Amino acid sequence: MNWTRSARAVLAFALLVLLHYTVRPLLGWRTPVDFLVIAVLLSAVRVRPGAAALIGFLTGLVADSLTPSAFGAGALAMTAVGATASWLKAVFFADNVVLHGFFFFVGKWAYDIVYVTAERRMHGVELATQLLLWSPLSAALTALAGVILLLMLRPVLEPQAV
Amino acid sequence: MARAVRSGTRVDTVLLVACCAMALLATVLPLNLREAIAAGLRRTVVAPLLSLQQQAERGRSAFLSREATTGRLDSVSLRNMQLAKLEAENERLRALLGLGRQLEWGFVSAEALRSRGIGEDNTVTLTVGSRAGVESKTPVIAPEGLVGMVLTVDPSSSIAILWTHTDFAASAMSADRSAYGIIYPHLSESGRGEDTPPERYLLELRGVAFRSALKPGTAIVTSGLGGVYPAGIPIGTVLGELRTSEGWARTYLVRPAVRPPDVSNVIVLLPRKTHDPSLDRVWRSTISADSAARRIAAAGDSLARRAAADSMRSVEAAAARLAGDSAARATPRTDTTSRPGAARPPASPSAQPPAPRPAPVRGDTGRPPASRRPDGANGARP
Repeated sequence: MNWTRSARAVLAFALLVLLHYTVRPLLGWRTPVDFLVIAVLLSAVRVRPGAAALIGFLTGLVADSLTPSAFGAGALAMTAVGATASWLKAVFFADNVVLHGFFFFVGKWAYDIVYVTAERRMHGVELATQLLLWSPLSAALTALAGVILLLMLRPVLEPQAV
Repeated sequence: MARAVRSGTRVDTVLLVACCAMALLATVLPLNLREAIAAGLRRTVVAPLLSLQQQAERGRSAFLSREATTGRLDSVSLRNMQLAKLEAENERLRALLGLGRQLEWGFVSAEALRSRGIGEDNTVTLTVGSRAGVESKTPVIAPEGLVGMVLTVDPSSSIAILWTHTDFAASAMSADRSAYGIIYPHLSESGRGEDTPPERYLLELRGVAFRSALKPGTAIVTSGLGGVYPAGIPIGTVLGELRTSEGWARTYLVRPAVRPPDVSNVIVLLPRKTHDPSLDRVWRSTISADSAARRIAAAGDSLARRAAADSMRSVEAAAARLAGDSAARATPRTDTTSRPGAARPPASPSAQPPAPRPAPVRGDTGRPPASRRPDGANGARP
């Protein structure tokens, strides 16, 4: 990865973080699109697992700063998702939109599972509803948004590397 | 090569383990410590993002409430459109109330309903009639001055001519009583016909003695000589002299005190009031009729009255305190120079208790007087 590609990747990451804090509250949906997960996943496939874990940890920490009661849960989930995505990046070298969508879906769902488990706030039916209903819905929306963004950012991200 | 790969893998593992350990540690930290770290992040790194999020949420709230906001805006705009009209009406009614307080008795207030028909723009229909004591040829006035005269009277309504009517005439004089004449509506050449109204809302003061020159701005009031209009009601102010063929008298153009389009609520003076000499004092002013109108308006202002009463009470209290102080200082003084603000018995007439006055008449313009005074008593108690 040369410096130009790195700069582009950082730009795309910053753009997704901005979208997370502007578009997401603007939409206000019950199942929100998680642009941070998309940002971490797109970054993770470009770096080594250790760096991906660090990126995920820092991003999760930023997200956790707005939810002090679940502080650390987001960081843990993002670390896990980032490191796993980096290790599995060989799977996603193929330029396939459906595969990318599935990648985002699984990443977001896994993030929610780790987050909710580490948060230890929900139990029983509420936990099951969250993990089996709202999280998949949110993951589906995130996957859709991720695919759209990936297509839009293709000139920046050089899709053959994704 | 293999060593480098192994080293990289080891670093990745170490980083992953460290990150996971720190994250797990963060989840089990005491709440106050977690809050402190989160607050630190919010104040530094996350602050711009937080600001963006707040703005986005504000935008969403504004978007969601746009319909309600638009509805409220429409309502406010509609009310705002009516506000100027209501303010003008309020001001006028307040002035009328002030005039009623000045007159004290012998009048009824009425609404002046304007007809829109051809030839009816110089008359108004009043909502009071003979049941309220109104008679033909009784003066109709407003806080600013003379409006006209009652022409015909029905039991519950009456018709009055405005000063713009061709039949209107009133004996008038300058406020300083230096010049007398007869006031007429100013009719242009095309307006001197029987049914032709005057083209402009102006008056003429005719028949003024040649030696009595009036300056522009001189106030003109009724003189009371004709028997219909009592003395002292403002008519207008002199604009300038009109050149006429009559060489023995002067004619002046007068700007009226009352504009006919503004006539909406008026006061009808009852016959007994027209002979009351105190009526002259209502509008009397050493400066101008405008200041008298302002004074009348202020008299109707309840806030002004309350403020005046408060100030009077405070003056009395201060006088009482000072009287107590001077009584306490029983030591005789040899000098005769009085100290500023020394206690003195109130000597001004305004400080004296007011002499008993006749009860004022309430003039209600909101409903026909017949419903309030079925016996026809209009309260014209001198």
